Amino acid sequence: MNRSDALIEIDGIRKSFGTFEVLKGISLNVSKGEAVCIIGPSGSGKSTILRCINGLIPINEGFIRVGNHRVHEMRSEKAMRPLRHQVAMVFQQYNLFPHRTALENIMMAPIQVLGHDKAEVEDRARKLLAKVRLSEKADSYPGQLSGGQQQRVAIARALAMQPDIILFDEVTAALDPETVKEVLFTIRQLVEEGLTCVLVTHEMKFAREVSHRVCFTDRGMIVESAPPAEFFDNPQDPRTREFLGQVL
Amino acid sequence: MFGLDYSWLSDPAYQQWLLKGILNTIELAALSSCAAVIIGLVGALALTLRIFWLDAIVELFVEVFRNTPPLLQMLFAYFTLSTLGLKVTDPSTGLSVPLLSAFACASISLSLFGGALAIEAFRSGIETMPRSIIEAARSLGYSRWSRFWKVEAPIAARICLPALTNILTNLFKTTSQASVITVPELMYYAGQIYNDTFRTLEVMILVLLIYVSLVSIVTFAMARLERWMAFPGYGKGH
Repeated sequence: MNRSDALIEIDGIRKSFGTFEVLKGISLNVSKGEAVCIIGPSGSGKSTILRCINGLIPINEGFIRVGNHRVHEMRSEKAMRPLRHQVAMVFQQYNLFPHRTALENIMMAPIQVLGHDKAEVEDRARKLLAKVRLSEKADSYPGQLSGGQQQRVAIARALAMQPDIILFDEVTAALDPETVKEVLFTIRQLVEEGLTCVLVTHEMKFAREVSHRVCFTDRGMIVESAPPAEFFDNPQDPRTREFLGQVL
Repeated sequence: MFGLDYSWLSDPAYQQWLLKGILNTIELAALSSCAAVIIGLVGALALTLRIFWLDAIVELFVEVFRNTPPLLQMLFAYFTLSTLGLKVTDPSTGLSVPLLSAFACASISLSLFGGALAIEAFRSGIETMPRSIIEAARSLGYSRWSRFWKVEAPIAARICLPALTNILTNLFKTTSQASVITVPELMYYAGQIYNDTFRTLEVMILVLLIYVSLVSIVTFAMARLERWMAFPGYGKGH
């Protein structure tokens, strides 16, 4: 039974690492086709929220539903496979597999995990490489690519899983300013195509331009959640105001 | 030259001994190296399962074989295994001989010794794997098993190759201790020759050169393997 029509439904999740409670009751709904940015100070639990959505981190308390998957009830990696098929993730450190070429990185999981046909996957992978404008780098290894190029390959790898949702975890934080642009360009394209995206980011301008909704987290809580214009121009919570005052 | 007398080297009997010794040394080293790598892989793999009692067994095995002198292990293997009473009848002579020859005992003990070191090398290779790479594989839906074979093992193999080179060269040199339990390898025949000829220094110099050459082949091959396996864009990769 789904409690709402949202694609992602998070209700009252709590998570502790040891004695430190990172998430103190997070609730968040994301509709299909929506792009939600999560911003907030370091250590406020932003990345942890993403990792709870695709089950990388088990939660202590609460409810998480993604599509038809009740994530909080899943226990084994095997049970989570359909969920991981539906939800892809892109990381701050790219995390490409260093022993495989760009093209192979994109093709590996669809073939090895989803069991898709190799020829069809290669076709898909080459199209995705073209989409992130890296066709000529198909046979390069991650170590031979710049940070921005690696990150775009990582986005293509996520897309190759044909997910309904992509989670972006501070994907531009490790990049230099010029390459940030090319990665953000790619993400913007995806949002415009209607892919559901949850983005943890420090790029305020990007959050404002691209997202449909911005959530501000502080000390394990979502303090404020609003459409970007409202959020940036007229923040309600004093903590949001303070944070925005520091970063803008 | 330098007062060294190598005239004994022209004796075909000594040439035969040296050649047999070299071949036996190579055979012993090759056998125990292969077995050590297999033991290392199986042990390291067992450790990744995180089963309490299995961990305990593997760790005990590693501690015992890593923390005791290989010479003691070899003597121990020789005197326990050969006195177990396992005998077979040699079809060619009709005599009853121990099932496990000195050579077999030496192979077993060297394999276990090298295997214990290899487990440690592979384990550290797997443990130094960046957590984030594992997270990426998990997020792509890899199960534990396929994640190990498709992602972790290929990366870990490259991380622990230098350590493995050290283990294999050491194992090669440790085969010389098999002479103590009468395995007729290079060191054993060297002893035979200088007991015969009293040309101790000459024999030792020659044997030293032979070991240097043989072990160099191992290190050369491993260096080639390391270069071949290197990730392009990292370390020795082009």
